[in-house]
Amino acid sequence: MRVVVLVKEVPDLEAAVKVTGDGSGLEVEKRRGLNFFDEIAVEAALKLKESHGAVTTAVGASAGAGVEAMRRAVAMGIETPLLVDDPALDGADSLTVARALAAAIALEPADLVIAGKQATDDEAGLVGPMVAEILGLPCATRAIGLEVEDGFVLVTREIDGGEEVVRLPLPALITAEKGLAEPRVPGMAGTMKAMKVQIERTDLATLGVQAHPVLPVAAYRTVGKRPPVKMIEGEPADAAAELVRLLRQEAKVL
Amino acid sequence: MDFRLTEEQEFFQRTVADTVDRMIMPHVEHIDESDEFPMELWKEFTSLGYLGLRYPEELGGMAADTVTSMIFYEELSRASIGFAQSVIMNMLMGTHLVYRWGSDEIKERCLLPALRGEKIATVCFTEDQSGSDLAGTRTSAKKVDGGWVLNGTKNWITNGPLADFATVLATTDPSKGMKALNFFLVEKGTPGFSAGQVLHKLGCRGTVTGELVFEDVFVPDENLLGAEEGKGVVYLGEILNEIRCMTGAMGMGLARTAFDDGLDYARKRVAFGKTIGEFQLIRSKFAEMATEMEAARLLLYKAAWMIDQGEQPKLEAAMAKMFCVETCCKVVDEVTRIYGANGFAHEYGPQRYFRDARFLLYGGGTHEILKNFLGKEILGGKR
Repeated sequence: MRVVVLVKEVPDLEAAVKVTGDGSGLEVEKRRGLNFFDEIAVEAALKLKESHGAVTTAVGASAGAGVEAMRRAVAMGIETPLLVDDPALDGADSLTVARALAAAIALEPADLVIAGKQATDDEAGLVGPMVAEILGLPCATRAIGLEVEDGFVLVTREIDGGEEVVRLPLPALITAEKGLAEPRVPGMAGTMKAMKVQIERTDLATLGVQAHPVLPVAAYRTVGKRPPVKMIEGEPADAAAELVRLLRQEAKVL
Repeated sequence: MDFRLTEEQEFFQRTVADTVDRMIMPHVEHIDESDEFPMELWKEFTSLGYLGLRYPEELGGMAADTVTSMIFYEELSRASIGFAQSVIMNMLMGTHLVYRWGSDEIKERCLLPALRGEKIATVCFTEDQSGSDLAGTRTSAKKVDGGWVLNGTKNWITNGPLADFATVLATTDPSKGMKALNFFLVEKGTPGFSAGQVLHKLGCRGTVTGELVFEDVFVPDENLLGAEEGKGVVYLGEILNEIRCMTGAMGMGLARTAFDDGLDYARKRVAFGKTIGEFQLIRSKFAEMATEMEAARLLLYKAAWMIDQGEQPKLEAAMAKMFCVETCCKVVDEVTRIYGANGFAHEYGPQRYFRDARFLLYGGGTHEILKNFLGKEILGGKR
């Protein structure tokens, strides 16, 4: 079976982010890595490689970036990295990215596509289901369990108070939730392979995709700073009385 | 001139850093407090294959250049200096001479399992009366039919009490000083070979350091590691620059952790209505620490780069070891001051960094020895 993982390179969770002066964009510190949920997706694919002999490919789409994420996926054990690298993808909306990824996947049809449930930078969570729609694949989101059998994939999803198991005919697309798999730490051999790997690249023109953003970002805003914490000193009874007074008179929540 | 790491080296650095953060960082306090060798962590970490980093691919290694090795040592040493010391012993000093001079059988029996983490290696130089002064080695090797008989006691042996095999420096004739020194492979279980007292150390805890005792230990001829008798010091010299750079890299890793903690603290700790990082004297500390760390790292990676160019950077490697470790000692000292009284509390990291940094002063040559060597080289030796 052939498994494709969708991978996105995102700023490190600890990278410094600033809104540009006019609010039209972001200045992000250049510390980048593989999206947290995509790493889980990669691990789920590698489990299928081990259990079902799946052939694994990582596909990503970006403008002049993405190599770091691809190398990470290879270091973990993905065999083939494919990067749609095109300047038109700079700041592209989810639909454009989904079209690019869908076209790349269509080059060599997959039995199963696994994506992270969302990226930790824009938190949109749209690309996976959009790719499924474009390719006409059944889609199950936020998977915490995955089992492949007889042309079907059983996907466990967490729902309020319990779990739901859905059965999708292959080919299908699922998105990975935390808990689906515990991403492995790459070993030296994988890291060495990733350092040397030639990443296959393509672009939108080759794939026959046109970038027509339908959801451009209008503005970015920072949220205001939280007011400082006020510590109330004194005996517990006095401190409690003071707390009630402050909640009534200053915070006006009581 | 290009001071940048390659894109591949940067990827390697981030991958190792991530591995260290995920796998080792959660255990650093326990390793320090318990002072016990973290066997489970050892198994988990060594299963990743990094012990073979600098060795050829056919031995399961990566044939990494010296710069890449330094990146690894630096990142590893951001976590636990004790654990890093144990790991690096298996990667470099404890295995190099076995790799270089061991027979195929010896490599199969000792080297390959050591690179997989299944055997623990060590090297033995220090004795009660000699450390940097190798010519003062008293452990003796006497030629007998078919091999050698070793007698003596080694001190301060990293991994010693746990070691499955040791590369042991011994003299075949004390009157000949450096010219009679040889390295011998001694394996655990060899009659007369035993572990003595374990040291209770100020820092670098969690790596077991102690005494190894050799009482009429017979080893066969093939256990003399070298093509020629009396060349032990020459063979050691092949990796001395690398060892010195490595110790410097450990200092840089530790300094970075201390610096980052100090930075975090200075940004959060409030005094007199503002964060302490807003006070000029605290800013001055960060300016100086950052400048010296930058200078130290440039010196370290230049020396490592020179090794990769096939040069013998004896001066640069000695300078790098000394300057990186002195910088580390300064940084950990400043960070304890930035923490104020909290720097004195076991509940915070700086006291551990402070203790660990001291350990790096000795390996690869004390700074007094290195200054003596550098001064002599610079002034042109005896006149």
